[in-house]
Amino acid sequence: MPELVVNDLSKELRDAIQSLDVSGDLESVGIVTRVGDGVAWVYGLRSAGANEVLLIETKSGTVEAFALNLNEDEIGAVLLGSDEEVVAGAKVTLKGTILDVPVGEELLGRVVDPLGRPLDGGPAIKTKHRGLVEREAIGVLGRKHVHEPMMTGIMAIDAMFPIGRGQRELIIGDRQTGKTAIAIDTMINQGRQKSGVINIYVAIGQKLSKIARLVERLKEEGVMDQTIVVATGPSDPASLLYLAPYAATAMGEYFRDNKKHALIIYDDLTKHAVAYRQMSLLLRRPPGREAFPGDVFYLHSRLLERSAKLSDELGGGSLTALPIIETQAGDISAYIPTNVISITDGQIFMETDLFNQGIRPAISAGLSVSRVGGDAQTKAVKSVGAHLKLGLSQFRELASFAQFGSDLDDATKHQIERGQRLTELLKQPQYTPMSVWEQVASIYAVNSGAFDKVPVAKIQEAKTALLTRLWTDHKKDMEELNKGEEKITEDSKFAKLFDKVATSVAKGFEE
Amino acid sequence: MAYNRLPRRKIAAYFADELLAGHDVTRQLAAYLVETKRVREARLIVRDIEAALADRGVLLADVVSSRDLAADTKDAITSFLKKATGAHDVKLRTSVNANLLGGVLIETPSERLDASLRHRLNQLRATKI
Repeated sequence: MPELVVNDLSKELRDAIQSLDVSGDLESVGIVTRVGDGVAWVYGLRSAGANEVLLIETKSGTVEAFALNLNEDEIGAVLLGSDEEVVAGAKVTLKGTILDVPVGEELLGRVVDPLGRPLDGGPAIKTKHRGLVEREAIGVLGRKHVHEPMMTGIMAIDAMFPIGRGQRELIIGDRQTGKTAIAIDTMINQGRQKSGVINIYVAIGQKLSKIARLVERLKEEGVMDQTIVVATGPSDPASLLYLAPYAATAMGEYFRDNKKHALIIYDDLTKHAVAYRQMSLLLRRPPGREAFPGDVFYLHSRLLERSAKLSDELGGGSLTALPIIETQAGDISAYIPTNVISITDGQIFMETDLFNQGIRPAISAGLSVSRVGGDAQTKAVKSVGAHLKLGLSQFRELASFAQFGSDLDDATKHQIERGQRLTELLKQPQYTPMSVWEQVASIYAVNSGAFDKVPVAKIQEAKTALLTRLWTDHKKDMEELNKGEEKITEDSKFAKLFDKVATSVAKGFEE
Repeated sequence: MAYNRLPRRKIAAYFADELLAGHDVTRQLAAYLVETKRVREARLIVRDIEAALADRGVLLADVVSSRDLAADTKDAITSFLKKATGAHDVKLRTSVNANLLGGVLIETPSERLDASLRHRLNQLRATKI
């Protein structure tokens, strides 16, 4: 065996030896008494705090856990890794911090797990900052009312249920009704419109193939560079599913607190509540309605309260949240849906019937609402879409009534025909978010009656022809309109232009 | 019934007080554990009693070293523990474990100071150099 010469030791090794913990202090230590189902019960560690990170010694290194139950005799801790290596009798020490994750611009374009570890095969992520997973929401004085638009690019939403920066707008509906599609289109629109908004997509227990498809699509659309995907799959431990939205919010808060605007999509909070229910039941917390624990409301309220529009003193940044909730058979009065509806500033309700009729996005005009977005709506869109929601709701009512008789007065007939054209106009294929001028021109053309003689089936074609003509012949005007600051009144130059072009386009489609 | 079980901490506090009063409580504790079907918790309760004694200034510490400790080293450890925990009476239970390679490992009911060579080498391995 060659003789070990101290001089031969590499500098790194010597530094490592020097940096070894040689502090002569006693450290608190506990023992794992029971372990299973991702939960460890720890004896000792009387000084542990709520949500504090525990380090459990195993044969192949340490496994992290966080303390959720602080009982008189023991601590219930949820493991952040596999419980295979953790055995009864293992030593447990305190890390001395509560959970935090890497935050910062370095995460943009990456797919990470809730602890900030890369899942995309890319290099390790080294950030300058870290953010607390559990953090108190900004107080009253640190906030400002929601007043800037967060354009989704979906005409039905931007015109009828506008979303503002800092708002929490719930997307709710049954499975396979296009909830995620709305969220993805909104993310794509941020890239198309160059709004500078950072996207954060949180997949909570989503199929990994779905996440992979999403990432591919975002790359194709060129918005991945301004997007962070926080992914958890169905096979991940419940603790990671529980942490995912909080960790992602910490990542979003970094941008919010640095005068930027971020959009966060929680897909979906139903699975989050289910993961929390699993953890709570394993931690032996008393079950309540639908076996959820008593604090399931607080679980979501404290999460969504962190999305906010900050005051000018704090830089004016914002974090907009689009939580998604899946309902069963359209039942929005179930426990979790009612909770999240009451927490958020409005909801977009997706209907299976509309979806099956081919009306996509299948947004219900009657049940959807945006409570704070009105102030944030672009002036141009607001001026043309003011009565859209009411008109559409009345049309749906009339249409169902009119099924029983053909003798209708002219006014009702007219309203039904206009409603049919509006419904047709609001159909929008996926991945085609529309800019402000496109939305304004389309809605104006139908509302003004210019398309009244165009058959309903040809409305989409007429719309495309109108937009093409406007962009080809009046590009500068449309770019100006796209800023959205100008109101469209009857005698404004845009109204006159739309009337002229729409009438001439409509002639080509009349029967 | 389960929800009427006395917490270990309360049991430990009672037996610690009894021990400090000079009573022999071994039989009483054993009888209580059998009666309440909590024999499996015996080890934890003993540890809790030690922790309760430590709270009352009587500290029982396990000291493991790679070879027998000299008397002055034991004195140094005792005075260190008195200073670190505020205990007025420190009792050491020493043992030898050659696997530590060097240094000492001190364990009190709720705390630990691992100043062994084995621990440092493990730390070094964890840095993956």
